[in-house]
Amino acid sequence: MVEERLLFRQRAARYFVILKSYMAQYLKTKMAYRTDFFVQVFSDVLQQAVNLIFILVVFSKVPEIKGWTRDEVLFIYGFFLVPFGIYSGFFNHLFDVPEKYVLQGEFDRILIRPINAWYQVVVETMKPELMVDIVIGIVIMVYSGRAMNLSPVWWDLPLALALIFGATLIYAGVYTALASLGFWTEGNIGLMPMVYNLSQYGRFPMTIYRGPVKFILTWILPFAFVGFYPAALLMHRYEFTGYALLTPAVGIICFTVAYRIWTAGIRRYRGTGS
Amino acid sequence: MALIEARGLTKEFRIFRRREGVLGAFKDLFHRNYRTLKAVDGIDFIVEKGEMVGYIGANGAGKSTTIKMLTGILVPTAGTMQVNGYVPYRDREVYTRGIGVVFGQRSQLWWDIAVIESFKLLRRIYDVSIDDFNWRLKRFNDILELDKLLYLPVRKLSLGQRMRCDLAAALIHNPAILFLDEPTIGLDVLAKSRIRDFLKEINREYRTTVILTTHDLGDIEALCPRVAIIDKGKMLYDGSVESLYSHWGQDKLEDIVKRIYQGHRPGSVKGVKKGGVGLA
Repeated sequence: MVEERLLFRQRAARYFVILKSYMAQYLKTKMAYRTDFFVQVFSDVLQQAVNLIFILVVFSKVPEIKGWTRDEVLFIYGFFLVPFGIYSGFFNHLFDVPEKYVLQGEFDRILIRPINAWYQVVVETMKPELMVDIVIGIVIMVYSGRAMNLSPVWWDLPLALALIFGATLIYAGVYTALASLGFWTEGNIGLMPMVYNLSQYGRFPMTIYRGPVKFILTWILPFAFVGFYPAALLMHRYEFTGYALLTPAVGIICFTVAYRIWTAGIRRYRGTGS
Repeated sequence: MALIEARGLTKEFRIFRRREGVLGAFKDLFHRNYRTLKAVDGIDFIVEKGEMVGYIGANGAGKSTTIKMLTGILVPTAGTMQVNGYVPYRDREVYTRGIGVVFGQRSQLWWDIAVIESFKLLRRIYDVSIDDFNWRLKRFNDILELDKLLYLPVRKLSLGQRMRCDLAAALIHNPAILFLDEPTIGLDVLAKSRIRDFLKEINREYRTTVILTTHDLGDIEALCPRVAIIDKGKMLYDGSVESLYSHWGQDKLEDIVKRIYQGHRPGSVKGVKKGGVGLA
């Protein structure tokens, strides 16, 4: 038992070192194509600015939507951006798996190295600069929290961390599952953009959607848990507390199931001819 | 127990045959025609530590599929195997620490970054100590003359240069077994001979077991006392190159292999039935 724990710690340390090495490599190549790097960051910030302006414009016409004020919707959006930033930085490019790794046989290279295959794909395809969304999200949360006179309590921070953890696992799970389908289809299946669009629904109050949409976003592709439910609890609106507290559990289940599919997919992998 | 021990190793692929034309594509949506292809069909393959074995066969004979099963990339449909004490596909993460793999058709190095950076990343991945790393790098440098290449990105290397770097990369963690899938493909005479010398040296110095697939019989003549020949997934011959010569009584390995690929069988090779002699 003690030995097992030690082994685990060694492994974790090694994996962390590998992450650092890949990160350093990534920055080196990015610095070689500097303009590319800044254009990417800039276009991402611009994208978030457009989303923000959309919310502001809507609320310049109406004081509230289905019981939610401008500041509350902003707060949801701010929270949404935190796990979204982690997802953009690390899991978004799992969509390369069907085309680049499975169809073109790049997965051969992954499988002959002594590191977990999923982890390798994640560190190889990460774009850590997109984590800039986390900062934008925190700024928006602080601003809108102040505007609605939200008074923080001690459990806000640990709660927020647990909720962010769960929400991140939901993203990781959904995208891992989608990527794994590539082992069966051997090529791109075009589901990724659709799922991405659906994930964006998570940054608005569920009360504005009809029943079926709400159901899908809660129980099928649980994107209500990456924005709305946890954010509502964090701004101390308690109508959805039950759901919000489920976030970490939903995340863990989602990722566990997805990882099983991934492992089954690897066993089916067949590479390219010769 | 031998270092590599595979028995009855089999890999089947289910191949989906597409129908022609738009109508065919539409039909494929609802009903697909599958047929099963036995890429590797019940082969036995036993290799002792320190051996250098050439593994040859015509295109599509099942060479790469065998190598991919032995390296843990593919899960066999049937049969058992134990390599270096592990079951490759099952114990992949531990097992791969002890093997090096080079695919002639595809580089293992990162395309955009300098070769030395790739090596450093591999050092982390295989958890090689800095002393071992420096020492091996220096040693490989002596034989493969890498120093001019180390600071170039992989995409700027010629095929021969890239292959030298790939070989060094596959050996940076001093693996017990080195798998090479067509390592000399597309290389000029000089590059080939340099790689052969290097492999000989590594095998002598570290007793690294080398399994090598190739279409260039010069590789076999230069390196491998033992050769295994596979055709349509079945092992046709597994034994010394010398006894191939004595059974066929011809002086060129290429002619012998050509005849074997054409379906001729020597009468006297043990375990292989006599086939038709002369051209049909």
